[in-house]
Amino acid sequence: MRNPIQHFCYSICLLNLLFISMNLQAISESEMLNQAYQSTYSPDPSPKTIIKNGTVLTGTGLLIERASVLIENNKIIAVGVGIDDDEAQVIDAEGKWITPGIIDIHSHMGVYPAPGLRSLSDGNEATSPVTPHVWAEHSVWTHDPQYTLALKGGITTFHVLPGSANLIGGRGVTLKNIRSVTVQGMKFPGAPYTLKMACGENPKRVYGNRDSEPSTKMGNVAGYRKAWIEAQSYLNRLEEYESKSEEAKELGYAPSRDLELETLVGVLKGEILIQNHCYRGEEMAIMLDIAKEFDYKVTTFHHAIEAYKVADLLAEQGVCAAMWADWWGFKHEAFDMVWENVAMVDQALNGKGCAIVHSDSAVGTQHLNQEAAKALSAGNRSGLDINKARAIQWITLNPAKALGIADQVGSLEAGKMGDVVIWSGDPFSIYSKAEKVFIDGHLKYDNGSIDAFTRTDFDLGIITPEGDRL
Amino acid sequence: MKYFNSIFILTCLFFISAQAENDSRILIQNATVITATEQGTLLKTDVLIEQGIITKVGQNIETTNAFIIDASNKIITPGLIAPHSTLGLIELDSESETRDDSTDHYSAGFSIVDAFNPSSVLIPYNRSGGITSAIVAPSSGAGIYSGMASVFKTDGLLKIEPVAKDVAMIIEFGGSKDSRAANMLMLKDSFDLARRFTTSKSSILRGGYFDFGDYTVRDLVAIQRLLKGEIPLIIRANRASDLLKMINFAKEHRINIIFLGAKEAWRIADTLATESIPVIIDPMDNIPSSFDSIGARLDNSAILHRAGVKILITSQNTHNSYLSRQGAGNAVAHGLSKDEAIKALTINIAETFGLQDEIGSIEVGKHADIVVWDNDPLEVSSFAEEVLIDGNSISLMTRSKRLRDRYLNKLGLN
Repeated sequence: MRNPIQHFCYSICLLNLLFISMNLQAISESEMLNQAYQSTYSPDPSPKTIIKNGTVLTGTGLLIERASVLIENNKIIAVGVGIDDDEAQVIDAEGKWITPGIIDIHSHMGVYPAPGLRSLSDGNEATSPVTPHVWAEHSVWTHDPQYTLALKGGITTFHVLPGSANLIGGRGVTLKNIRSVTVQGMKFPGAPYTLKMACGENPKRVYGNRDSEPSTKMGNVAGYRKAWIEAQSYLNRLEEYESKSEEAKELGYAPSRDLELETLVGVLKGEILIQNHCYRGEEMAIMLDIAKEFDYKVTTFHHAIEAYKVADLLAEQGVCAAMWADWWGFKHEAFDMVWENVAMVDQALNGKGCAIVHSDSAVGTQHLNQEAAKALSAGNRSGLDINKARAIQWITLNPAKALGIADQVGSLEAGKMGDVVIWSGDPFSIYSKAEKVFIDGHLKYDNGSIDAFTRTDFDLGIITPEGDRL
Repeated sequence: MKYFNSIFILTCLFFISAQAENDSRILIQNATVITATEQGTLLKTDVLIEQGIITKVGQNIETTNAFIIDASNKIITPGLIAPHSTLGLIELDSESETRDDSTDHYSAGFSIVDAFNPSSVLIPYNRSGGITSAIVAPSSGAGIYSGMASVFKTDGLLKIEPVAKDVAMIIEFGGSKDSRAANMLMLKDSFDLARRFTTSKSSILRGGYFDFGDYTVRDLVAIQRLLKGEIPLIIRANRASDLLKMINFAKEHRINIIFLGAKEAWRIADTLATESIPVIIDPMDNIPSSFDSIGARLDNSAILHRAGVKILITSQNTHNSYLSRQGAGNAVAHGLSKDEAIKALTINIAETFGLQDEIGSIEVGKHADIVVWDNDPLEVSSFAEEVLIDGNSISLMTRSKRLRDRYLNKLGLN
């Protein structure tokens, strides 16, 4: 089914997997799509800036006191103690903390924007349980006022997913927190596509209430498997065609395009990353077996309330879990919340776990640092030895890994994008606020200067014609 | 695992012994006491509790035979009060048979007292987060009236009587399928009906006809209590102009009102202060989620307090009512003073619902509902080490902690 090189790829890390296998493709998806829908975001060169004397949480697992971060031309140039540059504009961060830009791996901003109007409710194509052909980016409203609220909370990158009504809900998209009229102008350059899948109560409730399949969890699983069988057979047809000589190709017909199966084939080829809404331990284990049956990888389980019950399994298979700090009880699959979930997932198999704190909420995303603080303190209280330098990764490097963009963001390292937050103090304190937020080296939010803040179109003249919202 | 088991057993033993101690004395020693009174915060202070009541607050209190809680380097606050929750009425939001928070049959007079489940799984979670009392209110039902709220403690004792019954009525006003003007008329009509019901009582008793419309006797009796000034009306509304209309309505009918939600309250802060109308706020809810709340903002509570408005801080998530503490911390980050934030979680709520003689502050004569925190109670990283309700040390065990211990053990992380 898959060649040995591709098999090798599956055994190495996610990122390499992604980029190597992309190169192996005969025709890349962007070529097939005629370069359409690609990111058009291209920041202007940013001024050379040095942020000095701050407490730096690097996102690589270090806390460095009295350290500097040097940014030039949209990129981080250097991080550490004793860095100086005479030409750079200086920002004194004495008494302040510096972190990578915060990444929220589970957002519905833009597809379930504020205000919550029926005409803006574009997150669930709940007309059929398997809709891999829909793309969240085609629903995104680029003037959602929630983006700027998130920016004030330090969010520089967020991942927008379709909702969870469907077994396979469609493609997700990773966006930079940039104001742009077009969604292409917000798209994270080069970020891989993702595919939203959903376990459990939501799909079976939505379709079960209509007396159609699925109405049970076993119906859910049958639905996923049927979809993957079709995808596998489509992939076989594509590969069979590709393996033909040029002459034979000219004589035969190329398999016709199939919008649904193209996305699923992208997953089978390792190009599209599975982001799977899944609460229960036993359902996560089943989803991993489905991935085994069809030879693809689950990247992240989202809302993984019971991840702690299968934390070893997740760590062993290199699957991340994206979790809330304390949400629970809104349905039965969310009943077994433990406050230590994030910390337990993190510590599984001697710290091999990949734990992510996510929001799924336009309120929570503004305070993702506080959600991480709650999860950290719960873990520490239970005797788990986790420090802030590691815990910051739950909202920076780990979501970057799970989105396939860790080579570009998620930590303060030379060569990465200049996405940096200066906090008024320890970001694990409730009193600390994001004071300055840089995206690609540009100051996008400064709580000391109203000018450095571009409001969304929605915010203009909405409370009074002369004034702006916030 | 042994470690956690022993903590669990110790906690249980302490719980049992402290229950027995209720007849004698408890002395909390050497605490930083956030009193939620004019006295503010007292350092290195002792609190003596006798038979469930605070009898002394001061330094170096001498006593005999008291159970000692050493609170050196700890901070104590009054027990937190949830000013608006469905605690004890809901187990799982998505499962209607586990929900008792609303009705399609009754309106104004719907009392939730008989629905309250003192053994709800949610209650231990919330008291371990420092909530010792809750104003338990019905959710919106068929019309604009939700019904009546009652007060319960979170001690989990298997008793069915509330601390205070039917202390406030709740309505919802704002954007809905029908015009808000029609909702206002319905409200006015129901008040007129309640008045006519009062004046027609003797004729009704003689067998005269009375058209109750969509209401029952108990609904009209409840509205009469509002009109007599016995209870306040909690109005869930957000739009500034709606708040103003409701203030006019309240003046016209001489009723006491409290706003809930009130995302645009900052726009009429001075009026709210002049009219002495308390406001129940979730400080973190700054989303312009509808055209009723376009002006939502994080410093709503700070602006209101500066203007002189009494604020009460809530969490909209009943399962985590204790997260009002996080809301209060965020309000402080956006301009509210720490002292006021604690008051907004305690005494302001007690005063608003007429409970100020019993709970809401640490002062002599009050019930000993007290939380011992390991650190700053407004920090999310702090936690309650000890919770007293009526002078009884309450178990802080939860189903969640039991699950945690089971799986820490299974994962070999203990």
